[in-house]
Amino acid sequence: MAVIDESGQAYDHPLYTTLLHVPGLSVAVASLDQLLTWGAKNALYIFPMATSCCGIEFMATAAARVDIDRIGSIVRATPRQADVMVIAGTITVKMAPKVKRLWDQMPEPKWAIAMGSCAISGDFYRDLYPTVPGIDTILPVDVYVPGCPPDPTALMHGMLRLQEKIAAKQAGTWRAPEVRPETEKMHGPAVRRIDDPERDPAISAEQSRQAGLHSFDAPEGELDWRGAEPVPVQAAVDFNTLLAERFGIEDFPADNAPIVPRDRHLELAQTLKAMDYSLLIYAVATHYPKPEGDTFEVAYGLRNPSMGGKLAQWRVILQSGESIASLASVFAAADWQEREQYDLVGVAFDNHPDLRRIMLPEDWQGHPLRRDYAADTACRPWR
Amino acid sequence: MQGLLRGLVYGGLIITVLMTATAWGMWLERKLAARMQSRIGPNVVGKFGLLQPVADLMKLLQKEEIYPIGADRLLFDLAPFLVTTFAIATAAVVPFSADAVGADLDVGILWVLALGGLMVIPVWMAGWASNNKFALIGGMRAVAQSISYGVPLVLTSLVAVVFTGTMSLSGMVKFQIAHGWLALWPPGPGVIAFLLFYMALLAESNRIPFDIPEAESELVAGITTEYTGMKFGLLYVGEYVHTMVGSAIAAVIFLGGWDGPFHIASGLHWMVIKTVALFASVYWVRWSLLRFRSDQLMRLCWVYLVPLSVGLVIFAALWRHFVLS
Amino acid sequence: MNARHPGPTTDRYRLEQMDADADLMVLNFGPQHPSTHGVFRIKLILDGEVVVRAIPYAGYLHRGVEKLLEKLTFAQGVPIVDKNDYVSPMTNEQALVMAFEKLLKIEVPRRARWMRTIFAELQRVASHMLWLGTFALDMGGALGGGSGVFIYTFRERDYILDLFEMVTGGRFHYNTHTIGGNRHDIPAGWDREVFKVLDLIESRLPEYEAMSSNNAIFVARTKGVGVIDKDLALGLGLTGPILRASGVPFDLRRDAPYHAYDELKVNVATATAGDCQARAQVRVAELRESIRLVRDGLAGLPAGGINGGKPIKMPQQFKAMAGQAYVGIDTPRGELGTFVVAGGGDKGTAPYRCKIRAPSLHALSALPWILPGHTVSDVVVILGSLDPIMGEVDR
Repeated sequence: MAVIDESGQAYDHPLYTTLLHVPGLSVAVASLDQLLTWGAKNALYIFPMATSCCGIEFMATAAARVDIDRIGSIVRATPRQADVMVIAGTITVKMAPKVKRLWDQMPEPKWAIAMGSCAISGDFYRDLYPTVPGIDTILPVDVYVPGCPPDPTALMHGMLRLQEKIAAKQAGTWRAPEVRPETEKMHGPAVRRIDDPERDPAISAEQSRQAGLHSFDAPEGELDWRGAEPVPVQAAVDFNTLLAERFGIEDFPADNAPIVPRDRHLELAQTLKAMDYSLLIYAVATHYPKPEGDTFEVAYGLRNPSMGGKLAQWRVILQSGESIASLASVFAAADWQEREQYDLVGVAFDNHPDLRRIMLPEDWQGHPLRRDYAADTACRPWR
Repeated sequence: MQGLLRGLVYGGLIITVLMTATAWGMWLERKLAARMQSRIGPNVVGKFGLLQPVADLMKLLQKEEIYPIGADRLLFDLAPFLVTTFAIATAAVVPFSADAVGADLDVGILWVLALGGLMVIPVWMAGWASNNKFALIGGMRAVAQSISYGVPLVLTSLVAVVFTGTMSLSGMVKFQIAHGWLALWPPGPGVIAFLLFYMALLAESNRIPFDIPEAESELVAGITTEYTGMKFGLLYVGEYVHTMVGSAIAAVIFLGGWDGPFHIASGLHWMVIKTVALFASVYWVRWSLLRFRSDQLMRLCWVYLVPLSVGLVIFAALWRHFVLS
Repeated sequence: MNARHPGPTTDRYRLEQMDADADLMVLNFGPQHPSTHGVFRIKLILDGEVVVRAIPYAGYLHRGVEKLLEKLTFAQGVPIVDKNDYVSPMTNEQALVMAFEKLLKIEVPRRARWMRTIFAELQRVASHMLWLGTFALDMGGALGGGSGVFIYTFRERDYILDLFEMVTGGRFHYNTHTIGGNRHDIPAGWDREVFKVLDLIESRLPEYEAMSSNNAIFVARTKGVGVIDKDLALGLGLTGPILRASGVPFDLRRDAPYHAYDELKVNVATATAGDCQARAQVRVAELRESIRLVRDGLAGLPAGGINGGKPIKMPQQFKAMAGQAYVGIDTPRGELGTFVVAGGGDKGTAPYRCKIRAPSLHALSALPWILPGHTVSDVVVILGSLDPIMGEVDR
């Protein structure tokens, strides 16, 4: 049977073309065509491209209340055996190449359902740097199911609409909808991918440096996540008293955490760890652009689970070009926390075991949570 | 010449009946599973969703065929074909009633076990030829599992052979008509042998809790990961046919074949009832239990099932020697 | 580095360095895989089926929520964070508005605090229900016994979503918390519906336990698998059920009470084994405890207003002085915190920097420590037992 895709290209199964060349079979072929369409319409196996919230509602659609199995649709985990890709959730720039690849792995004839406003248009993430503004910028979508997230019944309705569309295309009554305003389609990548021979080696070197790949050749250090030797201090010392007595800090603002000198920050962490402040809760870097040079403020928070979760919070101020000692040698949790801050804010951490980007692709340029980074910075080819 | 004609007719009949039965067996499984999960299951395509298998078939027929990069095309194509062929060929020796038997071999049970053992080769071919790591792991698991569970399968069949004193499947049924069903008699060991055979059957046909070669939650789709269209359909159906034929053989060896309870109204229909009941029970187990890990599976087989079946064989020999003679 | 925890997260290892004969195999698990609970990738280096090293990659759902929060005013941020931990949106909203309330120094009326408690605990029931279902799905497969548990727990979860729909009008994302109180009051007769649903769930719980945690195969698959000992759990900043399953009796609801938890006493479930089974046991115990808390909360719900003293008309009314605030609350996945910095002056209407402390991020960072030595089948189980939600990990 001839399936006409969005671009007007017809795909013919070899069986179909063979049959058409046998004389006198046109009636049989026509009925066979109807039979095949009926089969295609009633056995839509789903490949769930479930990334976020809509994925949960997709699962709810497969569960007892709506039961998508009623119309003969089952979920296959491999794209090779699926007919419909249900894109449920936000597609990010990092994920988009994978989605496209999975789509290409699906055998024809195939259809796509964009479920939820993120997949349709990007929703309120639309103008943000890491988000693809609608999945139809990278693959043809047959049915849009709006909602945030759509009710399970709405997805079921979407499946039924897809069945109608398949039948209408076979019957020749399908009218293509009006062409939507041209969205930004794929372009060549602004920065060539790592394996591209035309890639500028200067960029590679800079990115390798930023990604911490230079440490690849460095001798591997033992990371003792249990921390250094405990520093003997009296138990149950108040945090502020400790700061005042041992670290000579005098300024305790009411609405803010005390500022600890950069060179004593690691020592403070070790001291607190010895005092049972064993949970690293957060490590946050804040960017303050200033004409004389950017300033960063890195805030840390520790909890003491044996003292009712008492919080110890402090800040370290970094002038332009300065780096801060990593706490990864004291708290294993600092590893990912500091990687995230390095990735998004661009603060350098000394002696971090593995300072790479964590959220964004490795070849990303810039640090989006800096105040001077435009939120809608385009990222080719997916935005 | 007459024998050839008979073979052709019977062969065609058995393929048609078996494939049809399997197709609606799949429908039965879907409905059963749905009812177990407080769902409805297929009910839109045809009355009670009865046309669902036809729709699935029509859809699979028209799908594009994809060969993954680096796949071994010959093996990739051959595997689904062989899986189905072996599964159906096993059915040739199954006596569905006193008359309805394709080839009443004197060594019917050997034929069954040999073909069952061969099943692992196309499965491994599928895993290897796909050039996909998930399929490869699935294939490796299938080989390990099939070889391991082949041992209790053979040993429990041997129990039946020793008890009945024949290797012909219809001979076994005739013995059971005379002396009572093997699963019920002798009271203890007979039912244990039946349960062991049943477990090995679950493992041989890759059904939960022994479905680690497919394990969708771990290996995406196991050996079938890269298969599309009708080749996937054949692999998929092959397993169902395997389960169906396995159920029929279990019914013949242990449940008296076409013999009715207390010899009431013996005939083909009893064989059908027993086979479908066993087939459905496989899916009852499948939709109730969780899955073992591969090493636990091997442990269960080699530490518990194999010694137990060896013990049963010895018991059967003693019983045969002292009680029946 | 000891044998059980052979190494931290790093991508510096190359196969050729680890094994000259290259008997090892790299298996990319994800980002789109039926059991990764979203889009998450683990690079597994396998020796046969045994994991030698595991390298996780997050960020496939990084949507720039923190940047978006900087662009919006304080009051506009609430519906945004709904989508972070999309399995328990209520607690997301609470963590955000509580941090803003602390920063802006706004008192919450007592009735609103009790309502928030009820919502949080109902959400915990729904979230743990979903976890139980997906955990069984990981172990039993979509075409097997696991999907039975999954479908039953989703059925129960749908009842709770219906309850939320009665209050807020939204089935999934609620946007019911505002800075200084709640937006929607509880409708008349809602408590009767809640009691009905809770009775139903409680009566069916033994059934699910029989199918999952009391099932012999379940025990065989989870006992002794993925052990996180106390030191590792603390070092990695794990919180919530995972920490409590490792033998640390720490629960913010009891130890640093917020909402109405100072009046409703919380019993904290802990286990010492630290394996997947212990985590399952703790979560099921929490389920029962949450059902009790909802009942007690509804019985003692005080009357009064549900919003801060003065009516708030415009979001721009909120203006924060320069400063920072951190509030963490105990969600079904652990301590979900919001760290907010206010710029002060004319920038005071929006957060200057807002960081969401996601418990799932810490949970996933445990993977390179605990996966080595387990088989591929266990990877799925361990990942499921950590109950990660990628929307929250990547934000």
